[in-house]
Amino acid sequence: MIVELFIPLLAATIQSGTPLLYATLGEIITEKSGVLNLGVEGIMIVGALMGFLAASFTGNPALAFFVAGLAGTATAAIHGLVCLVFQGNQVVSGLALTILGAGFANYLGTSFVGQSAPGFSPYAIPYLSDIPVLGPIAFNHDPLVYLTYVIPVIIWFYLFSTRHGLSIRAVGENPFAARAGGLSVSDYRWAGILGGGFFMGLGGGYLSLAYTHLWTNNMTAGRGWIAVALVIFAFWRPGRAVFGAYLFGGIMSLQLRLQAAGTELPSSLLLMLPYLLTIIVLVLSSWKSSKSAAPAALGVNMEPSE
Amino acid sequence: MLHLKISKRQDPLGWRSCFVIFGAVALALFFSALLLALRGTPPHEGIFVLFKGAFGSRWAIEDCLIKAIPIFLCSLGVAIAFRLQIWNIGAEGQFCMGALGATWMALSFPDQPAWVVLPAMVIMAVIAGGLWGFIPALLRQKMQTNEIIVSLMMNYIAILILDYLVYGIWKDPTSFGFPMSPTFSDAAIVGKIGSTSVNWGLLHCAVLAVAVWAFFRFTTIGYELKASGSNVKAARYAGLPYNKQVFLVMILSGALAGWAGFIEASATVNRLQPSIMVGYGYTAIVVAWLASLNPFYIGIASILLAGLRVGVENLQLDLQVPAAFGGIMEGFILLTVLAGGFFIYYRFSFTAKQ
Amino acid sequence: MVNKMRIFKVLLTITLLLGLSSNLAAKELKVGFVYVSPVGDAGWSYAHDMGRQAVEALDGVTTSYVEAVPEGPDAERVIQNMARKDYDVVFATSFGYMDPMLKVAKQFPDTVFMHCSGFKTAKNMGNYFGRMYQARFLSGMVAGAMTESDIIGYAAAFPIPEVIRGINAFTLGAQSVNEDATVRVVWTKTWYDPATEKEAAKSLLDVGADVIAQHQDSPGPQEAAQEKGVYSIGYNSDMSTFAPKAHLTAPVWNWGPYYQSVIKEVQEGTWKSESVWPGIETGIVGLAPFGDMVPQEIRDMVAAKKAELVAGTTDVFTGPIKDQQGKVRIAEGVQADDKTLLGMTWFVEGIVGTTK
Repeated sequence: MIVELFIPLLAATIQSGTPLLYATLGEIITEKSGVLNLGVEGIMIVGALMGFLAASFTGNPALAFFVAGLAGTATAAIHGLVCLVFQGNQVVSGLALTILGAGFANYLGTSFVGQSAPGFSPYAIPYLSDIPVLGPIAFNHDPLVYLTYVIPVIIWFYLFSTRHGLSIRAVGENPFAARAGGLSVSDYRWAGILGGGFFMGLGGGYLSLAYTHLWTNNMTAGRGWIAVALVIFAFWRPGRAVFGAYLFGGIMSLQLRLQAAGTELPSSLLLMLPYLLTIIVLVLSSWKSSKSAAPAALGVNMEPSE
Repeated sequence: MLHLKISKRQDPLGWRSCFVIFGAVALALFFSALLLALRGTPPHEGIFVLFKGAFGSRWAIEDCLIKAIPIFLCSLGVAIAFRLQIWNIGAEGQFCMGALGATWMALSFPDQPAWVVLPAMVIMAVIAGGLWGFIPALLRQKMQTNEIIVSLMMNYIAILILDYLVYGIWKDPTSFGFPMSPTFSDAAIVGKIGSTSVNWGLLHCAVLAVAVWAFFRFTTIGYELKASGSNVKAARYAGLPYNKQVFLVMILSGALAGWAGFIEASATVNRLQPSIMVGYGYTAIVVAWLASLNPFYIGIASILLAGLRVGVENLQLDLQVPAAFGGIMEGFILLTVLAGGFFIYYRFSFTAKQ
Repeated sequence: MVNKMRIFKVLLTITLLLGLSSNLAAKELKVGFVYVSPVGDAGWSYAHDMGRQAVEALDGVTTSYVEAVPEGPDAERVIQNMARKDYDVVFATSFGYMDPMLKVAKQFPDTVFMHCSGFKTAKNMGNYFGRMYQARFLSGMVAGAMTESDIIGYAAAFPIPEVIRGINAFTLGAQSVNEDATVRVVWTKTWYDPATEKEAAKSLLDVGADVIAQHQDSPGPQEAAQEKGVYSIGYNSDMSTFAPKAHLTAPVWNWGPYYQSVIKEVQEGTWKSESVWPGIETGIVGLAPFGDMVPQEIRDMVAAKKAELVAGTTDVFTGPIKDQQGKVRIAEGVQADDKTLLGMTWFVEGIVGTTK
């Protein structure tokens, strides 16, 4: 019975972890360029709503998913404007963006609560999904999940093996040296913010286009914040982000499954698990590394030159 | 060819920064009005209904003051932490724990007179809130853990603890199984001022505000905190006890939010129930920043943002605008004020340059 | 001449009276509704709003509403606001609005206050609810008949009596047609969060449930059932559009006729404060249309039972009823009284799950 339950749990883990993964990857890109964007939660919600609306109006889920990403980019651009141009405090700006994003999405979206929109459905990959154990766990999901099997690799390659990626990282580690070397700190940080925002929007879009085909107020339910924590847990590396996202997806799925299996534990305590785990994981990650894995210039605005 | 030159001001704009703040808020109102129009609500009518609902009558102003009280106290606490650049996002959870602490005392001493129960409630609320501020500080100082995430996660945990208690051991036996604590005894309720609907928490706010101001102005510790706040590295070189300071501000911060929780549970709701949590802890952050961390301005900003919440209800009733509109305005206000900071700290001019 | 004068006076008086009364009749009644969640949630508030629209359709009535109002002082203010703006009738549609509404009722003796699902009243405040558990029982019959694995999954929001009562009634209904039916309960701790609700339904599907029921306001669980190719029972309103192949039926609310009757009473001046709990015989609760997959014999069975409930010849909670530990909670032949029903915090036998 345990083994029988394990496979669906792992499959659910991958599904629950997918929006976290998109958002975490997005925040990694942004933070690598030296910008702390705490507005992930707000950006995700906007992405979820815009993706949902796009699917509602066009009937094309793939296009809608892309729109969700664009909405994320547009929202993140506000953070860029406030921090890069107006030198606003990055922490507070991110918070403000979360408040605004949630407000905006709930405001527009209230009229659409209770409606359904076309979305993605699970598609079992032929042959692969017949592999015992691994098949049902990994190859019976919607296409957006399959994308996440590839995207972390692409992002890793981009950040660590291309010149553009190197520039982004340089700007996050030592912006003064980068500027002296001829790089435009502002340009690469914009790239980090906008690019990161795109993936955060995708994470939100996943919730309303694949995880469910519905929209509701406050749909993200704190996932954006967990993503910010996961970046730290992942030591700012895409590969470890995958592990972290699935770990948390698993915890979120676990508490419901424990109930279904008939546990006597009170559900309030079970619901605390993801948040407690985030703290524990954070403590362990920060404690163990004597040299911080964070980009050295993270969170600090670079003052305009001249 | 004209070239835009941006340079940091020697002295940031002093009193004139008021104008920047006003301008920012006005701009935020403008953006919000645009969003009203987007959904088909006539913007000028919307803004008018908003103001009228917030400040247009005696009871509206009383409602604003009632809401401003918890926002103010949480914000006072948040500002203390922010001064040291410790990003306490946990005011919501600290508020919750304060309400829990107060409830514990109220339920434990249902037959005691007010002069026994109320101080017990305050003390326990302050301890509980302070504890909830202490933990992120501990993790930050001892284990280099980011206090933003920890304090935020603890918000969620605090609310779940509240849930657990009101569904379990604190559930009112006469509530037909609905999750709420028994109503507090009259002795455990902070009363209303005269014939108004505003409770004495207002006085608590004034006293605490003065206390905080005096603390920073007149005590050595307060002076040292200000010094650390403006330049952490220099303060450390000067031998200031940064470590202890972090703990102090977080405990104070949590304690004030806990006091707010006590007042809300005792005076406004008269019991503990999940719906006591309405996001004051997050609004407090907006207020603190809006007010540049100054207690007096925090008072004004608290009333304004409380007014926003009250006015938005009117908007809902009269113009069917969704409740989330309040969040939009708060977000815009904070963003425009942040952007406006640019004009306070930098000057720009045009120069001729080849 | 005196006669003519008198006739003239009488005619004048009659005309005046007629004019006045038609003015009175033409006075617009302002009715306000307070909802605990957004209206479009296809759930609880949506059903109430359908009722509001029925009231709006009446002559001489205008309605308005405020949605997503947290229980507690915010609710008090909203209700107060309505009373201050001279609303004639205010409906508050959540248990937690009870005390706030009572406070306001005391301040505004000329306004009529109606509270849903509570128990306190005042001279100008009444309360009302509907015996949803009867419709739940009927829906349980359908689930019990259609399940093949004998495991029915129930995604439920909060362990409050109303929800527990519904689950119990549902289970009793399932057991009445299928002795081996069991119901597994998962608490989502939310009224409307499609993602969590869908996940909850999936976790139930993974332990072998082949019918999913819910006390939730979103169609999330319906989607999960449809995706897996099994059956589902909706709630609050007909959820078949979200899961056409899965949706068997749903216990639904129909507040319209009741709300209309209240307004008519107020208009005619015959309204008085009372606590009412109408059942399926008034149509306040019912079943959504059956999906095509439900065989005729099941439909007939349910229809017959419904007729009995309407006629009052049987009721749902008639003993012997045992709880999960096997203890008899309702004795043989005894029909549970309203107090027992309103405070129900235990599960019947055959349910796997805790009420914590």
